[in-house]
Amino acid sequence: MADDAVHTHVRRRIDTWLIVRIVIGVLVVTYLVYRLWIILFVEQPYGPDTWLRFAISGMILGGVYAVIALGYTLVYGILFMINFAHGDVMMWGCFAGYFTLEILSGAGVLNRGISSSIISIVVTFAIGMIVSTLLAIALERIAYRPLRMAPRLVPLISAIGASLFLQNAAQLMFGAARQAYTNPEILERNTGWTVIVGGEEVLITYTGVLTFVLSVILMAGLWVLVNRTKMGTAMRAVAEDKKVAALMGIDVDRVIGLTFIISGALAGAAGVMWGLHMGIVYHYVGFVPGLKAFTAAVMGGIGNIPGAMLGGLSLGVLEAMGPPLLGIPFQLKDVVAFGILVLVLIFRPTGLLGEVLAEKKA
Amino acid sequence: MDIRSSLREGLISGIINVFVILLGLTTLVGTLVQEWFDLSSPTLGAWVLLLAVSAWGGARAGRLHLKESAMATLLAGLVAGIAHGLLVGLSLFAISTLNEAGAQLRQWLIQLTPQAIEMLTFSLSPLAAAVVSFLLLAAVSLVAALLVLVSNRYHWRESLRGSTTATTDRIKNAAAYQQVTDSRYTKGIALALFAAMVLAAPLLLNRYWNYTLGTVGIYVMLGLGLNIVVGFAGLLDLGYVAFFAIGAYTVALLTGPEPHGIMLNFWLALPAGVLVAAISGILLGIPVLRMRGDYLAIVTLGFGEIIRILSKSDVLTSFSGGPRGVRDIGGPVLFGLNVSSGMHYMYLILFGIALVAFVTQRLQYSRTGRAWMAMREDEDVAEAMGVYTLKYKLLAFAIGAAFAGLGGGIYASRNQFVGPEDFTLLVSINVLCLVIIGGMGSIPGVIVGALVLKGLPELLRELDAYRMLVFGALLIFMMIVRPEGLWPSKRRRMELHEQEDIPIEYQTAVD
Repeated sequence: MADDAVHTHVRRRIDTWLIVRIVIGVLVVTYLVYRLWIILFVEQPYGPDTWLRFAISGMILGGVYAVIALGYTLVYGILFMINFAHGDVMMWGCFAGYFTLEILSGAGVLNRGISSSIISIVVTFAIGMIVSTLLAIALERIAYRPLRMAPRLVPLISAIGASLFLQNAAQLMFGAARQAYTNPEILERNTGWTVIVGGEEVLITYTGVLTFVLSVILMAGLWVLVNRTKMGTAMRAVAEDKKVAALMGIDVDRVIGLTFIISGALAGAAGVMWGLHMGIVYHYVGFVPGLKAFTAAVMGGIGNIPGAMLGGLSLGVLEAMGPPLLGIPFQLKDVVAFGILVLVLIFRPTGLLGEVLAEKKA
Repeated sequence: MDIRSSLREGLISGIINVFVILLGLTTLVGTLVQEWFDLSSPTLGAWVLLLAVSAWGGARAGRLHLKESAMATLLAGLVAGIAHGLLVGLSLFAISTLNEAGAQLRQWLIQLTPQAIEMLTFSLSPLAAAVVSFLLLAAVSLVAALLVLVSNRYHWRESLRGSTTATTDRIKNAAAYQQVTDSRYTKGIALALFAAMVLAAPLLLNRYWNYTLGTVGIYVMLGLGLNIVVGFAGLLDLGYVAFFAIGAYTVALLTGPEPHGIMLNFWLALPAGVLVAAISGILLGIPVLRMRGDYLAIVTLGFGEIIRILSKSDVLTSFSGGPRGVRDIGGPVLFGLNVSSGMHYMYLILFGIALVAFVTQRLQYSRTGRAWMAMREDEDVAEAMGVYTLKYKLLAFAIGAAFAGLGGGIYASRNQFVGPEDFTLLVSINVLCLVIIGGMGSIPGVIVGALVLKGLPELLRELDAYRMLVFGALLIFMMIVRPEGLWPSKRRRMELHEQEDIPIEYQTAVD
């Protein structure tokens, strides 16, 4: 008798969730196929050149998302908390880059010659990354370290508080107006190589190429760090089990500090890339990219570094090409992104490439 | 004696002071003090703040060396003061020189207005200002270390604590106190008095206060709703504003003349709004049934943003009014009396709060409430114990959404206008903050939270720009010091401070 009771209970559980997923899956697939059919075969509003433009802009933005996502994934993999303030760390890096460029251009150094421009860009990235790193370290010390033993909700709230604080500090210090990045002339926005596709010209911007290439380099560098160095092994060990890692002689505090340093540096780089390419910086600029980058990290599998890169790029492309493919207005781009997040979490909660660093902790 | 720790304290407090200057807190405090004490310039207030921070740094440095010797303490304070003074002095020197050279600092760091710089440098030359500030800050730091030394020598801290404990003990042991606390009527009488005050208040207050307290009341409703989702069931919902929006828009679209011209009676539209919100709560709950806490937070955040984006988009303008919102929403008509003034709405809101609080109270001590509590503590164990988590999660979402819908409907009717910008993420965060800071899982806690987080900023209007900054800092502070909130339910406080009353030998490992 007891056996039957257990059986019925377990069977009922699996059924409901499975039915829910099947229903949602069928609805979504039908809708997508229908819209795609209409756009691709019936209306055909865009030529191949426009599709290429969408794809390019998607990949560039995806690169930025991927770099931010790497930061999220690292911290989540080790501490199992969403660093809500990560997007705002990126914003501060963006501002640091902005001020550096302003100073350099005011001093006349920015456009004096090709080599001095290149050095200026490197310096800008360096300062942006340093500021973000310092901020990430401070954040960890003040808002996260005291709460390491607390239940999950508590550091999350603290992260939200930190995010609010950083955003408003930036607003109070720098004003709420949107500032424009002063790019050096060799890297002016909206300049680049032109490619002829389908009879039309398509622009591949210098800033876009820089962003994408840099993202790939950073991801590769991070992968090497985590998988081929001693510190990386320590990080993976701490991610797997903090206590045992400590027993093995690893200084857990230092590893966590290093994780935040790396994630901060990545956020800073992403911030400067955003500034150079999109040209806008203001106190709220980190919020939406931060959210989307988290979506990307989840999509790829949280704690998984190639996953974060894959998730970031695919999210960028899907977000850019989704609205035109589905025939919905571009205003609803964010809806597409969140929709993707929900679908991924329903159908494949461990992400596209599966979770590697993290174990399933309820 | 190691100099490094004192240097570090000094540098940290120095950096804090630099940020205090850049954030404009010096200007703020300076002007406040100037107003309160009728001074001629804000310099005094500003410098009091700066010196206080330096003193804090010096005291911390001194305290680290109390055990060594008196000399060490004082030296620590001095070193910290020197570090702090150098940092701030150099910064002031830089700011002042750049300013005198004609650079438009204000363009980049908007708080560095000419008046502010004057205030910080006493209108002296850059070098003089730097030296003076250095000396002042270093001196104050040393004095603070001295005070720490003296208070330790004469045991000021212990005697203060001892005398307060003695006084509170005397009060607690007094016969009158015991009679009052033991009597079973006390709670009832206190509640009755409170209720009487609350009922009489709208009649006595002026229009401004009625409106403000009305807003606070609506947030109390929202807070109680979120309390069920987050506090009882443990589901971190960051998109709560979506249900608020749905309730408000439903009432607006049903009673407004455009875009649909349905012109339904308010008393029918409000339940409709609640119902629609509850249904959307269930719809939101279904996809997130299996998600872990952090993912749940992000997905609900996404939903909140989606609702806002949809309501703002041009594509849905014919349905929901687009960016311009919905106007001229009808007000309720009760017994022929047109409810339009703030006072009347206050009573409506109070009634709403009473309803919501009643439902919350009954739910908390019912089987459903216990199921939620089990789910919140450990979902897997709860399922293993036979709690049907699916049903209770959906129920939590639905009821929480229903309360938000009620608040939204009343809000829409009172404002006579709804637009997409009323429903930003900030509202969700506000409600979450007030539930957490007030005390999760307790009704008086939510009310306290709403009063503190919504009422206080109204009082301190001038500080409006700093409000969110304070929120953020307050959240971090509260989570470190008192994560259960200001007025928590006893259970919650127990959960969050599990290990503290047990001697170390009996404590179990907490993962």
